[in-house]
Amino acid sequence: MMGLWKDWRLHGLVLGTVVITEAIGTYQFSIGPGVIMLLPMLYAIIIGLLLYFTPLVKEKQSKNAEPIIVLGVALLLAKIGVIIGPSLPELIEAGPALLLQELGNLGTILIALPIAIFLGLKREAIGMTHSVAREPNVGLIMDRYGISSPEGRGVMAVYIFGTVFGAVFMGLIAGFLATLTPLHPLSFAMASGIGSGSMMAAASGSLVASFPDLENQIVAFAGASNLLSLSTGLYISIFIGLPLTEKLYKVMTKKRENVKDVA
Amino acid sequence: MLFKNLQEWTLLLCILGITALLGNWLGYSILPLDALPGMIILILICLAGFTLNKLIKINFPSIAYIALIGVLVSMPWFPGSGHVVTWTNNVELLALTTPILAYAGIAIGRSWADFMKLGWKTIVVASLVLLGTFLGSAIIAEVILRIQGII
Repeated sequence: MMGLWKDWRLHGLVLGTVVITEAIGTYQFSIGPGVIMLLPMLYAIIIGLLLYFTPLVKEKQSKNAEPIIVLGVALLLAKIGVIIGPSLPELIEAGPALLLQELGNLGTILIALPIAIFLGLKREAIGMTHSVAREPNVGLIMDRYGISSPEGRGVMAVYIFGTVFGAVFMGLIAGFLATLTPLHPLSFAMASGIGSGSMMAAASGSLVASFPDLENQIVAFAGASNLLSLSTGLYISIFIGLPLTEKLYKVMTKKRENVKDVA
Repeated sequence: MLFKNLQEWTLLLCILGITALLGNWLGYSILPLDALPGMIILILICLAGFTLNKLIKINFPSIAYIALIGVLVSMPWFPGSGHVVTWTNNVELLALTTPILAYAGIAIGRSWADFMKLGWKTIVVASLVLLGTFLGSAIIAEVILRIQGII
């Protein structure tokens, strides 16, 4: 990634987007008992996407933007690091919860797999629902089933959805669920760390905006949980997530296959 | 090679830093000059992490080094950690996320056509995947944190 700093057109567009979105500021509105927060970062991703379809952005800017995201996430992680440092005693105290909530990622299989099968999806469902489908999981599925397999198509589909809509989606549901459900904001803070920097930022950002008093604790819990997901997520998928998905898929589709065999 | 990379990273981090400082000013009313020392610290932490990743030949991602260095220099017993914490407090977390997502928006424009091909079933399942993970983790966290008496 050499000479990316010279792409003034790209940096100028981002600067303009940031100025506009920060000037608009945060809006919030209630739907029933929940609150939905509209944050500058949510407008920023939408404006960025719209910009791609204008003559202002060429293919080159879009390609150059990709490695810069990694640098931005690096800056964000440095900031999260200096929030975690002073909160370390609290985090160590909360350690068992942090470790065990990683298993909560398996909740996705129990909720999403039955619906995927109900909707008539076949082995795509395994790739789609075995995990949240971030980069390590895409790598795992590609390695095990191949890139053009149904499982590979499934994991790519969820990966693309997460890339395009993940941050917006997590930002909206985090604020909404934290105000709607009786669960504590710190539980949702831990849940925000699912192994994607932008999704974690969006989810914990919404939580901070809804519960400003808890800001440092929310950021520390979300950041620590995200680091844990990054380092353990793949192993949970390999040893528990994927085998569990395969097993449940077999059990849930057995009836149908038997019917097919008879026919 | 490392030097050339360092130069590139430094320039890009500075561009990101300036953009974030402006957002920090407009969105959170913190003057760029007040937030500048904190931003410099964050950029230095990033550069240290990237350098360690290049120098130490083990498979450990640079973002993990960066987070660890950030934790280390802000722990109470680390010399000067008080300044690190006070200065970086002037850089709002959300002001850092806005430029990242602006770059992300421009980058994902290219996947838009792929996305449009997915169909509604995929959108339903993918939403449930994210929702399931989020709720599942939150429920487990809630139970353990309550047992421990933290919340």
